[in-house]
Amino acid sequence: MKADVHIVGASMIGPQPGFGRDALERVVAYDTHPMKAMEPDLSGYVDPMRGRRMAKVARISLGCGLQALERAGVARPEAIIVGTGLGCMESTERFFASVLQQDEEAPSPVAFIQSTHNNVAGQLALAVKCTGYNFTYLHRGLSFTSALLDAWLQVGREGARNVLAGGAEVITDDYFITQRHTGIWKPAIKSNLSVLNSTDTGALCGEGAAFFVLDNVPRGKDSVRIRDVDISWRGDAKGIVPHVKDFIRRNGLAPGDIDLVMLGPNGDAVQDRGYDPTAALLPQATVATFKPLCGEYYAANAFGLWLCRSAMVTGGLPPEVVLHGSARGDFRRVLLYDHYQLKDHSLVLLER
Amino acid sequence: MRQDAVHVTGMGMVTAIGVGVEANLASLLAERTGIGPITRLVTRHRGKIPAAEVRMGDMELSAIAAPADTRGWTRAALLGLAAVREATLQAGLDPRGPRIGLISATTAGGIDKSEGIYDRFFDNAPSDEVLEYIGTHDPGEHAERIAHELGMSSVVTTVSTACSSSANAIGFAARLIRAGLLDAAIAGGTDALNKFTLNGFNSLMILDPQACRPFDGTRAGLNLGEAGAYVVLESATHARRRGAAPLALVNGFANTNEAYHATASSPDGEGARKAMDRALASAGLRPQDISHVNTHGTGTLNNDASEGLAMHRLFEGKVPPFTSTKSFTGHTLGAAGAVEAIYAVLAIRAGAHFATLRHGSVLAEAPVVPVLRSSSGHAITHVLSNSFGFGGNNTSLILSAP
Repeated sequence: MKADVHIVGASMIGPQPGFGRDALERVVAYDTHPMKAMEPDLSGYVDPMRGRRMAKVARISLGCGLQALERAGVARPEAIIVGTGLGCMESTERFFASVLQQDEEAPSPVAFIQSTHNNVAGQLALAVKCTGYNFTYLHRGLSFTSALLDAWLQVGREGARNVLAGGAEVITDDYFITQRHTGIWKPAIKSNLSVLNSTDTGALCGEGAAFFVLDNVPRGKDSVRIRDVDISWRGDAKGIVPHVKDFIRRNGLAPGDIDLVMLGPNGDAVQDRGYDPTAALLPQATVATFKPLCGEYYAANAFGLWLCRSAMVTGGLPPEVVLHGSARGDFRRVLLYDHYQLKDHSLVLLER
Repeated sequence: MRQDAVHVTGMGMVTAIGVGVEANLASLLAERTGIGPITRLVTRHRGKIPAAEVRMGDMELSAIAAPADTRGWTRAALLGLAAVREATLQAGLDPRGPRIGLISATTAGGIDKSEGIYDRFFDNAPSDEVLEYIGTHDPGEHAERIAHELGMSSVVTTVSTACSSSANAIGFAARLIRAGLLDAAIAGGTDALNKFTLNGFNSLMILDPQACRPFDGTRAGLNLGEAGAYVVLESATHARRRGAAPLALVNGFANTNEAYHATASSPDGEGARKAMDRALASAGLRPQDISHVNTHGTGTLNNDASEGLAMHRLFEGKVPPFTSTKSFTGHTLGAAGAVEAIYAVLAIRAGAHFATLRHGSVLAEAPVVPVLRSSSGHAITHVLSNSFGFGGNNTSLILSAP
């Protein structure tokens, strides 16, 4: 029972304004990072009283997820699947602090409950009374694409009508400060929009949420079909080019059929080179990037998918993120390729 | 029975009742519990709250798991690697290759190491120990470390849905294989006992200060445990081609969500009943086909009442022999679903019903009594294994004789 899988609704909250829209309102430049997700007025989706008590990742996910459903005209999806690399780090840190600093003296149960990694997916289910499948993936750069693969499998192969799938991450101040020891972030940035010209290592850091409704029935010209999803972990980036070629070929396409390739360089001068062979594989395609807009975080490729859909539905991209080719065009076949630290590799093939 | 059921060809585990699957089976049959005073974890709750610790330090675990480079391994990752090694050895599977995946699960990941040195993460000049463990703080780290150790290059991911995590990992892996996206997968989960989780459950006031008594009328909560448990799953075609004999089949899987409350399960057991019902439907089985149930059976007031009621309703009063092996292993959280899936396979292979320890009085909410003594010699063909998580995330697996 194979079925086509269509994105019929999408919503995004992040460092760039685009909530409730198909394209960014404008491109915002930052000279410091982490770039924080702007919080739009969510009162139409989240009760402000309850929202204030929630961690930011839960609040923006709820707003985003519910808006994606509204835009798709789906009241209650059959399944809800969330990808997040850190889950609710804000609540984890809060509970951590109360356990460690007060020597295990009566820590708050509320922070513990909210720190449970599947809290976001659970909150979404509570909000729409969805008693179906409810999953959460926490796996670094594959967090969101694992969720997308699961959702794609359900609609495309397992008979589900519609599934809500999303990716969300909020970088807390403490997490940003402590993880700098790993060398993962740049110590400082001049501008997010010129970060791909960096000669040093470390990424531009950001955060955000993007949710999608996948459905087996398209909704006119605003629908985008997900042809295929692939995730893989590799000890190194060797073998990725034949893998990308295989991925295109197994969908009955040739590299020349791809109109737009959306890549995930994040400003790390060494790791960004990992995208070059894939870009070189697709000389006819427009080459664009998304992390100068949203920053690097575990679920960043959810924003990448949002921007791909935006380009396909509106026929254009912010010129600031186009590396090669035209920012406007009829993008019918789009490849999203993202890697995290050259180890977590995600591929999504879209068609309109 | 479904024609495309996925084969279980290898199993591996480390729990408080044994290192290795055979040691676990021996303890289950001999009714030897793993629950006792905390001796390893440094916590102020020592002497007050019991737990089911794996009676081995990290060094000993490391010797069993035998990573090529011993630096940076958390206890959770070591428990996982030790179990994965046993499972792949039994299956005779070389996990390298583009169509063999790893679907892991955890609730706390590497917190067992980071919680001890967390305040030093903020130092401007971090110590070697901080640098060794700072990258182990996120849940997915253990799975990538294990994948790296095994030389894998394929689908690797981590599920985290609280207490149902590794049952869900097995379910997702089986779906990927059935859809033809993978030939085989290592699936399971790992969680090490840690202060974060112990205090979390303690703050919810659901830890029994004595050894737990699942399905007992006077039960007073759960005990936490720690474990690593993984199975090797394969398509029938792939297993046949390799000459690997199936130990059991993953025959049914369902995950539902109650959308009832952030932590508690619905008191009427409707969510639990629905998960079991859908798992039966996915396997093409009827309730009367089930010969043994490995319950979630934590020992909390809430869970056992709603699960007992759900079984009473689903089986229309004729509940098959059921057990809570958490009375042996404690609640191993992210590993629990895989631990109990392996026990389900052992029940089939040994023809055994396992005891629920320390049961003395009947549940008030439903007229159901668990198996009280371990015994073998039974014909067991289909086992239902329940894993019900925080927030009503309910998973049922059905394991069947090959």
